[in-house]
Amino acid sequence: MSIDQRLQSYLKRNLTLEDALPTKMPAYVNSFGYFFGTITLAALAMLFMTGIWMSIFGPAWRHESSLGAFVNAMHFWAVEVFYLAAILHILFKFFTAAWRDGRWRTWLVGWLIFAASIFSGISGTLLQQNWDSQWNAQQGKDAFAALGLGWLNWNDYASLLTLHIAVFALMVALLAAAHLFLIRREGPVRPIVDGGQVRIENEESAR
Amino acid sequence: MSALSDKYMRGIPMKPYDMIREGLFILAGVAIVVILLSAVWGFPRIPPLTLKQVAITAPVAFTERTLSYFDGQSGLQTYGPPYTGDRENAQRVGPICPACWTGVAHPTDFRQALVINPLKSAAVLNPDIATALDSYDKATPAQQKAWTDAYGAALGKATAKDGKLILATGDYGPVPTLMNGMLKLAQAGLLEGALVQGANPNYAPYNTDFTLPLYYLGGDRIMGTVADHFDEQGGQWGMSHVAGPYPGAWWLWPYAFLYQIPAIGNADAADLIAGMIIAAFGLILFFLPFVPGLNRLPYIIPVYRLIWRDWYAKYPSGDPTRDPANSGFDSDRGQFPSTKPG
Repeated sequence: MSIDQRLQSYLKRNLTLEDALPTKMPAYVNSFGYFFGTITLAALAMLFMTGIWMSIFGPAWRHESSLGAFVNAMHFWAVEVFYLAAILHILFKFFTAAWRDGRWRTWLVGWLIFAASIFSGISGTLLQQNWDSQWNAQQGKDAFAALGLGWLNWNDYASLLTLHIAVFALMVALLAAAHLFLIRREGPVRPIVDGGQVRIENEESAR
Repeated sequence: MSALSDKYMRGIPMKPYDMIREGLFILAGVAIVVILLSAVWGFPRIPPLTLKQVAITAPVAFTERTLSYFDGQSGLQTYGPPYTGDRENAQRVGPICPACWTGVAHPTDFRQALVINPLKSAAVLNPDIATALDSYDKATPAQQKAWTDAYGAALGKATAKDGKLILATGDYGPVPTLMNGMLKLAQAGLLEGALVQGANPNYAPYNTDFTLPLYYLGGDRIMGTVADHFDEQGGQWGMSHVAGPYPGAWWLWPYAFLYQIPAIGNADAADLIAGMIIAAFGLILFFLPFVPGLNRLPYIIPVYRLIWRDWYAKYPSGDPTRDPANSGFDSDRGQFPSTKPG
């Protein structure tokens, strides 16, 4: 069997077009909480859009022009929305025990996204070129050194910018893609049956 | 649907859905919120503290800092990894010392980099500095120490006028010339440039490493005063908030909280202890699905019954295959009937 055939077979078993672009959803997907993940993703999209915008025009633009400062502010507030939505999303998934029925992979990848985003956020703070980035560079050196992360040069602007807009951004994007793949592959987890005392047949067989 | 999802959703009522449309609506909503927040509150635009500002407004504090690098008394010169080989000050908890393990990745002679290199640049323009450097180098270590000690003592009682230091008369050798050279370099706004370019002169036009100017002012007296003003010290929840009326990195509250506990915040290895606790906490959350007891919490705290209240109203057990006749779910319209749960 060729690689293409194997891939086709894999996708037929794991991610059909109906899975990737669903036209129907289980009736139990009926809570505002299901929006938190999408809001997180939308905030991430805003971060990428404003980040690319700032990358094109450079550091001076975002300080010296009013439009650049506004785009910079959008990037900042998109981070706030991202974390608010992400934490609500995590709480929602916790309270629904969403790792059930083989969905622990989605849970693990979700936390990897969160961890990568923390590094992305810290590097972003250090790139702001304002008092806060200066103070955090001073304070952060002790934490970075203590945790064995001092080998990365957090004060080299070119290195830090590359980490922020390429390495950490790519990590978050790839992990988010993997998270979405798993979500669409497996579908929304079923409601808890009998207070979690029993598993139903389909749950077991889907693992 | 795929074989996997087909099997999983067997017996589950479905409703019509348009994922892309929903995603676009939410993206538009988030964009509006972000634009409004940006328009109303903007972004923290407090500029960085420059060496020039400090040298002009606080020449005594600036010179004390400079002297500490020159006589080797600053904390940076005994910092340990990743800058110096001295490991005594590296944070450790028992045998755990990540800084020691990763080693001296960026070896730096801070006396040379922060003071001598800029002075050598200034000496090209000012022969007095060249002479003073030469005199200092030719003196015995005991003499050098006597000069810097005497100058340091006088500096503790010094005043400033019009950006100039006023010290009591004493035998300081060439030290005042050197320290005034650094002060003037900073007051002219040239010190940051000298530090950055001096770090690697062979690549001067391309140097982007700002370690030296970022660390020059230190974290205590000078920058600490500004940080105090903005409530940004470690004991004030540190980097979990920013200067001004902005929410900042509030998601780091659990990390910042650890520094508020005196046993941690005042410890020599505060950063390592806080980091280890957060790492342990993170690992528990990461592996929560497999942690006995903790992975049962969602069942004990039945928030899920609120989230899926419509579902449980129709299927009290949660399993529609047990009681399909009672569902009343209209799969064509994708709606539950209007009867109240109960």
